[in-house]
Formats: sequence, C-alpha cells, structure tokens
Amino acid sequence: MSMILIWLLITVACYGAVIGTAALMTFAERKVSAAMQYRYGPNRVGPFGLLQPLADGVKFIFKEEVIPAGANPWIFKLAPILTALPAMLAIAVIPFTGVIGTFEGTEVLGSIANPEIGILYVLAVTGVGVYGAILGGWASNSKYSLLGGLRASAQMVSYELSLILAVLAVVATTGSLNLHEIVAGQSGWFGWNVFSQPLAFVLFLVCSYAETNRHPFDFAECEPELVGGFHTEYSSMKFAMFFIGEYTAMVVMACLTTTLFFGGYLVPFWADAPWWMGLIAFGAKTSFFLLLFIWVRWTLPRFRYDQLMHLGWKVLFPLALINIFVTGLVISFGPGAN
Amino acid sequence: MVVVERKELSFLERIYFPAILKGLKITMSKMFAPRFTRQYPEEPLPTNEVTRGQPRLAVNPDDTIRCVSCGLCEAACPAYAITIDGHETERFIEREPERFDIDMLRCILCGFCEEACPKDAIYMSNELELADFSRAALVYDIEKLKRPVSALQDRIDYVKKINDRWQTSSST
Repeated sequence: MSMILIWLLITVACYGAVIGTAALMTFAERKVSAAMQYRYGPNRVGPFGLLQPLADGVKFIFKEEVIPAGANPWIFKLAPILTALPAMLAIAVIPFTGVIGTFEGTEVLGSIANPEIGILYVLAVTGVGVYGAILGGWASNSKYSLLGGLRASAQMVSYELSLILAVLAVVATTGSLNLHEIVAGQSGWFGWNVFSQPLAFVLFLVCSYAETNRHPFDFAECEPELVGGFHTEYSSMKFAMFFIGEYTAMVVMACLTTTLFFGGYLVPFWADAPWWMGLIAFGAKTSFFLLLFIWVRWTLPRFRYDQLMHLGWKVLFPLALINIFVTGLVISFGPGAN
Repeated sequence: MVVVERKELSFLERIYFPAILKGLKITMSKMFAPRFTRQYPEEPLPTNEVTRGQPRLAVNPDDTIRCVSCGLCEAACPAYAITIDGHETERFIEREPERFDIDMLRCILCGFCEEACPKDAIYMSNELELADFSRAALVYDIEKLKRPVSALQDRIDYVKKINDRWQTSSST
C-alpha cells in the first residue's frame, strides 16, 4: 500500500517538476530574449512577471477554437495530443537523482521507472513526436501547414540518425542501455562522457536542437516562409498543446544531455553525496542546457533549408559514423579491451 | 555583370563553432547591459514647458478665473471642441464663464486657443494622459479644466518669451 503511495509521490513530483519547468521556460524564453535585446520582458503579472505562464494558460483556455473548413476534424484534434504526449512519456525514465532510500526491501530510485532499456525507450517515444507535426500539418487543409509538416518530418528523419548514432557511442562506452547505469558509469575524475566522447556530445547537441524544432533548425514553423508552419491553423488550447509539447521536449532533451554526457545527478568531486544534492546537481546542469536552448535561439539566424539537409546528411551523419567506428575500435582493441 | 567574389573560408571558419561561440559571448554580454524600455505608468514621459498638452484654464491666486468668456478661443478652435456660455459678475472684469466645455476627443492639441486668448487665461498644460470609459466623461467641464497659475507658470513664461520675441527683434 505505502509503496504505491511512494511511487505516486515520485510520479507526481517528476511530472510536476518537468511540466512546471516547461511552463517556466516559456516565461524564461521571453525574459532572456528581452534582456538580450535591452528590454524587460513580461514583468506585470505577479512578482517579476512570474505568473505570466498562468495568465497565458488562462488566455488559451478562453480563446475560440477554430477548425478550418475542409479539415479532417479527428486527425486535426489528435495531432496536438500526439505532439505533447511523447515528450511527456519520455519523462518516465529520466533519472533525476540516485537512490533515495530503501523501503520495504526495495530501493527507491529518483526516477519513475528504471527499465533496462531506458535510453532506447526515450528514443522510441520521442521519435513518435514528429507524427503530431505531420498529421497536424496534413489535417489542417492548408498549404503552409502541409509544407511545415513535411519539413518537420524530413528534418526529423535526417537528424534522428545522427542523434541515435551519437547516443550509441555513449551506450557502447558504458556498456548499458539503463540510464541509471549510464550515470553511474561517469563517476570519478573526468569521468563524464563529454570528456571521453566530445564529438558525440557536439553531434547530440546539434541534433537535439533539430529534434526539438528549435532555432537554428526550426523549419517546421519558419515564420517568414510558412506563416506559422504546421500549427498555422491551430488556436486556443490545441495550439497550447503544441507549445507545451515543444517545451516539454526541450526539457527532456536538456535532461538527456545532462544524463548522457554530464554525469547526470553525480556531484563533481563528491562521490557519496546525499540524494538531494544529486537532485540539485541535476537541476543545475539541466538548467544550463535549458538556458543554452534559449541563448542559441536569440544568437543564431535560421539556416536555409538546403543547408539544413546538407549539414544533416553530409556533415553530421558521416561524423557520427566515424565516431561510432573509432569508438568501436578503441573498445575492441584499445587499452582495457579484453 | 556583377561578379561576387566570396572569400574562401578556412577550416576553422567552416566548422562554425568559433563564430557561434563569439556570437553567444556577445548576446550574453548584452544581457547585463542597461535597458532602454521606459516602464510607462511608473516612469512618466518627460515633459517641459514646450510640451503642448491638453488646454487648461488658469486660475488666479485669489481663486478668480482669468477667462472673461469672450469666445475668441471658441472661434479659433479648428476642431470645434470648445463651448462657452458666459454671464456677468460684480467683479472689475465684469464677465466670467458659466459653462466652459472642451471635448477632449475633438481637441487636436493645436494650441490655437492659447494664441487667441487676449486675457492669458487658457494655456496648453503638460498633461498628456487621456483615458476614460465613456465619451461623455471625456467632455471636460470648467471644474476639470481649472488649474492654478502656479501649476502653469513654466508654460506662461515660455509663451510670454515667444511672444516678446516679435517686440525685441522688430526693427520698425
């Protein structure tokens, strides 16, 4: 009975933290971009404008829902759910902290679930996310939406390969698909995977920006060419669902970067840190990557579409292949090989 | 024919990362730079005596209004925003306004009433904010227009200076 209660507690805490962070990210995005452009950003709702996401949410709920004529209503309604859901499902395996304690003989871990194939699950689930964009684009009965959806799918296909190959290099060095074990494998001086796999880290970072449809790769919603991209025809809470999906995917990607390359919840130079220290370390590292998402967006201009494909297929993909090949060679024949 | 010669990029330039890092450094440094935005209701717009805001009626220190309801401003007003009814008084100036309405929605802040006034009674104040919930509330009556001379002193001095310019520079 009480074990279920603990699971429930952890589930609520994890989901609350990630979705709360996603909501705060919409606020942080506006605040940071404002600061970079000598402005203040939202500062009227609540202290420092902190209640702005709440006000935006209320606004979205009360807005009129428009379904364009000729649209396929069922797919039109399904698409936002398909965008938001995969990102939220991926939260289930992210290790927020290590062992919290033992309860009735069971170790309570700082993640909702701890499957042996954790990273595979994340990749499988986030890969579904693009269906929301392409279905939404197709069902809207609008040329701009369709083009946005097509671009999203083409971009996902080209970048997911390099992303998975980058992750594969990490999995190969760790020898496990379990996210907790990947974190545990990064202990010690310079044990973080970013030091042993710097190329994989760069590839993963670039591809994660393309995966989450963020600048400089946000072609699915490229305003000057496609009005709003795949969500042009969406309004009200359905549009908000796309928004939530995008920002949750960002938080998940930042969590994954931390977990795979920056030692996850490990505190540097403190091997037996208590679990709450791990939580703080994880939060701090993830916050940096979340800031980086915003920071890069307001620094770099958008790519051109052919440049995007060129970068994905002719630069990142060969690099990822070379990286996984060299990693395999080192593991098989290098120092420490049996 | 225009031939554009593009510089051949070196390897370091072609991998973009040094340039991206440079860009990130610039945006981060701007984050802590002073901000330009005026927080409007808390930080009001700067005004000075040249500001031509809404017209107001000058009231002498002894609480008598300067206006004699001659109607010159009413006639000068290009937007027909001013309506005046006057009546006689026991005072030396003999007349004063009974009703003096300015429809602020019609007023175009041109300052003709100020120029037309022979008794230095109406001045363009530095009050610029105008908002209410109904059109009727924005037709200001005499009580809303009255301002003590001290509040308008800067403008009065300025207008006097401008008008005196013709006297001093004239050679005839």
